[in-house]
Amino acid sequence: MPRWEYLIRRLILSVLVLLGVTVITFTISRVVPSNPAALWVGPRPTQEQISRAREILGLDKPLPVQYIRYISALLQGDFGVSVRTHQPILTDLRTYLPATLELVIAAMLIALGIGLPLGVLAGAYKGTLVDAIARLIAVACVSMPTFWLALLFQLIFFSNLHWLPVSGRLSTVIKLTHPIEQVTGFYLIDSALAGDWELFRDALVHLILPAFTLSTYALGLTIRMTRSSMVEVLQERYITTARAAGLPEREIFFKFALKNAIVPTLTVLGLSFVYSLTGAILIEVIFSWHGLGTYVTEAVLAVDFPVIIAVTIIVTVFYVFINLALDWFQAILDPRVTLG
Amino acid sequence: MTEPLLRIEDLYVRFRTDEGTIRAVNGVNLEIMPGEMFGLVGESGCGKSVTGLSILKLVPHPGRITRGKIWFRGENLLEKPESAMREIRGRHIAMIFQDPMSSLNPVFTVGHQITRVIRRHHHVSRREAWERAAGTLDDLGIPDPERVMRSYPYELSGGMQQRVMIAIALSCGAELLIADEPTTALDVTIQAQILELLNALRIRRGVSILMITHDLGVVAETCDRVAVLYAGRVVESGPTDAVLQAPAHPYTQGLLNALPRPSARRKSLQAIPGSVPGGIEEIPGCPFHPRCALADDLCRSKTPIMTPVDSSGAHLAACHLIGKSEG
Repeated sequence: MPRWEYLIRRLILSVLVLLGVTVITFTISRVVPSNPAALWVGPRPTQEQISRAREILGLDKPLPVQYIRYISALLQGDFGVSVRTHQPILTDLRTYLPATLELVIAAMLIALGIGLPLGVLAGAYKGTLVDAIARLIAVACVSMPTFWLALLFQLIFFSNLHWLPVSGRLSTVIKLTHPIEQVTGFYLIDSALAGDWELFRDALVHLILPAFTLSTYALGLTIRMTRSSMVEVLQERYITTARAAGLPEREIFFKFALKNAIVPTLTVLGLSFVYSLTGAILIEVIFSWHGLGTYVTEAVLAVDFPVIIAVTIIVTVFYVFINLALDWFQAILDPRVTLG
Repeated sequence: MTEPLLRIEDLYVRFRTDEGTIRAVNGVNLEIMPGEMFGLVGESGCGKSVTGLSILKLVPHPGRITRGKIWFRGENLLEKPESAMREIRGRHIAMIFQDPMSSLNPVFTVGHQITRVIRRHHHVSRREAWERAAGTLDDLGIPDPERVMRSYPYELSGGMQQRVMIAIALSCGAELLIADEPTTALDVTIQAQILELLNALRIRRGVSILMITHDLGVVAETCDRVAVLYAGRVVESGPTDAVLQAPAHPYTQGLLNALPRPSARRKSLQAIPGSVPGGIEEIPGCPFHPRCALADDLCRSKTPIMTPVDSSGAHLAACHLIGKSEG
């Protein structure tokens, strides 16, 4: 199947998946015992206030009607309003989603940038000291609880060494003196676009600790996955062919072998990425990094269903597209893979 | 007399495994002359592939060359550092393998793989390398080289893949080609074409070829001289005609008797009793004596050395029975 045709077909399927997700989450939100109208009104509501809230929220209409109203609003980019804070969800997402994405993307880049070369070297020099060190790092990364690691990092790099800030996305002083113009919501990008390098530097040093903490689990997986697929690939005959042609080892490892070995690593990283969108809650809390994880956790505790559905949809979108991208990558890397 | 292009002296290769040390190669001696096609035959596990890989010092882990010398162009390769070996591999000595499909990297185009090797050994631009690669493919009788170079290995037939392998091997002008079972995985008709191609290359370019094979038919058709390997030792060597028509070693005789021959309408083929030794336990005396019908006490205690079989002095065999029976 031609690649573009495949892409279009997958996109259509993705829309169906998303529709399915909205149906399920919407249904669950109406079945679970909760009282959104009461939540909307606030503490100690009167009966009259509640019934008015039911009208405003459209809860008095039949379920299918509610769903259709929800979907048609959604198609216009309107996620609705949080029943807890009365804030439009889209406004919230504009701040929380970029914050999380900035953190998660940085973490995945760290995992890839450190884990891939380490994994390649560990696989290439299997059984040597390099391998032992890489495996030790991998095991430590996977088994260390992130909340503990986060505290440890804060203790070392903030309290003891005074190298890095303890939490937040920006220092208070910088925040007051350098008004940030929200274009993408990524502070690194926005500050660079504005040419405000002091702001950029401040955003960067705030990003380092949480990003490193978040990257550890994915880093450990990256090292292990890369190592094991490298070990497998390096036994292939074409590696001997490359050696018999006198090609340098480094090129054999990082080009001829890695291109054959990288797909499982990318899959692991892709899935870690999506997981971290809402799963980074502990890190978000410890580093006061207000992102999607914190946002949805608060919503869940308050049974704020419009927010839960909105975040679910966002995460599903990412999930679907990351999967598509992974399949696409695989087809690009390996010409034998047929899409279809 | 011309100097040999390659001379292997007393080569020993050991594989240290958990089950014990495997003696893969036990004192192999052989010489390959410039422009010669030299056959190295033996059953699976006799050490012929390991001997081939030893020449490039690419014996896989946990194998190690423990003794011997490999002289190539006046230098002992076994004393050369890895960096110097990388200059020799592909440039002066090249190797092709049994299964061309798995010998080519599946995720790079053929053109990429050939030009990369050319650019490794010659300082030429990408375009020049590409043209040289296309020239080599054309030279090997591959129709539409440009199309082949833009293809991935899986898009080519087995015969075409092996031609591409030969092109990669010879694109830098190697003087010695080690061909490890180059036709075993191919159809019979394609086999003949590849053998013909190798023979043509030898004649046109003067490339010496070490033909590693278990197929005596291949040897008979193509090789000038042949060495028969058994349990990591050369047991018989000499001009192909002499060895195949008047085999002196019982093992060579056994191999020939095990060949199906349409002319001699024998009822059944004669197999050699027993099987190839695993290489872990050391066999005292002649390595072949446990499977040899003619073995006596001398064979069981003393290892025979290579002795001339006839007056020419070119045909040698390592057997105590030479000169004993009919003289």
